[in-house]
Amino acid sequence: MVRKTCFAIASDRRLGVNLQTIATDFERIFKIHDKLYIGLSGLATDVHTLYQRLIFRHKLYQLREERDMKPRTFASLVSALLYEKRELAKDFVVSGTASESLYGACESMYKPNMEPEELFETISQALLSSVDRDCLSGWGGHVLVTPTEVQERTLKGRMD
Amino acid sequence: MKLDLSGLQSFPSIPGGAVDDLGEDLFAPPSFQLPACSDVPDSRASMGGYISSQSVKKIIEINPYMLGTMAGGAADCQFWHRNLGIKCRLHELANKRRISVTGASKLLANILYSYRGMGLSVGTMIAGWDEKGPGLYYVDSEGGRLKGTRFSVGSGSPYAYGVLDSGYRFDMPVEEAAELARRAIYHATFRDGASGGVASVYHVGPDGWKKLSGDDVGELHYKYYPVAPTPVEQEMTDAPAA
Repeated sequence: MVRKTCFAIASDRRLGVNLQTIATDFERIFKIHDKLYIGLSGLATDVHTLYQRLIFRHKLYQLREERDMKPRTFASLVSALLYEKRELAKDFVVSGTASESLYGACESMYKPNMEPEELFETISQALLSSVDRDCLSGWGGHVLVTPTEVQERTLKGRMD
Repeated sequence: MKLDLSGLQSFPSIPGGAVDDLGEDLFAPPSFQLPACSDVPDSRASMGGYISSQSVKKIIEINPYMLGTMAGGAADCQFWHRNLGIKCRLHELANKRRISVTGASKLLANILYSYRGMGLSVGTMIAGWDEKGPGLYYVDSEGGRLKGTRFSVGSGSPYAYGVLDSGYRFDMPVEEAAELARRAIYHATFRDGASGGVASVYHVGPDGWKKLSGDDVGELHYKYYPVAPTPVEQEMTDAPAA
């Protein structure tokens, strides 16, 4: 979710194979640089591979340009790697097995121009209520909000 | 459809011979329903992992001294359990005595066997108390029927079996058995994506069944594994679970 001066990114923490849960502390949000985070959903091995490729490309960029990549540029990079058009939303973006629930929850809970605390509350509620309607997501949550510095928080959710 | 159980009240009480009442605890699967059954390849599987309800009653009360559990297709289980209840009642009226657990489970098993291969999905335990004491049978839609002292059924059953097998003794007291069953269900809901919601525990004794508890497994997790407050966590606002 995005606001004028900060953004929040959240994910659940489950790693599973079909119905079996393997881990409940899987990190899906990765830092590219101080002002850029990417959340990746889908097959865990692909998540790791893609993350490593992106970090590699970004480091090369940093060496050549001597600065960090802008989010818009990074989005083009990701979309080129994934062969699809990027979404440049003004409010929020969702992905994952619970994406339909997430769209509904975010659509109803989101308001423009929220304070960081309110943004955190909104994104957490949207995440928790959506994953509680999906068998393959959940088992806790992970949220990062950045007004000026990054605040990372873990959510206590239903562990079923 | 509510079964007319008023006639059962006038029956003479069954001689409860055994002093060590094998407090039968039903390993009640949590009340949770997934529309896509994992072992039935039908078009409902395309609904993906959507959770339709967290409060489905998975224990079906066949009559005041017999219970059936539900796993697999909810519609199949509900329908055939009610059908079994009807047949049990008809048996009582025809023979002037309650049907035994052996008989009831055999009735259900025969019906399910006759529909074998047609896509029914039923995994159930029939538990009850009759003249011979407690009885527990496992019946499924493949036509299988097994008598035993402990069972676990459903997609989360391997996880529940692990906990159950390590803690089970034939002569456990009722409270300990109830807690073991609750733990087994909780662990199944933790690992299995298709299990969750509420863990209900019932006890079947000489006077019939009685519901002991119904605990939300989301809360059970934090009861068994409380979050240790650390300085960092003090700042967290606890986003309440939906």
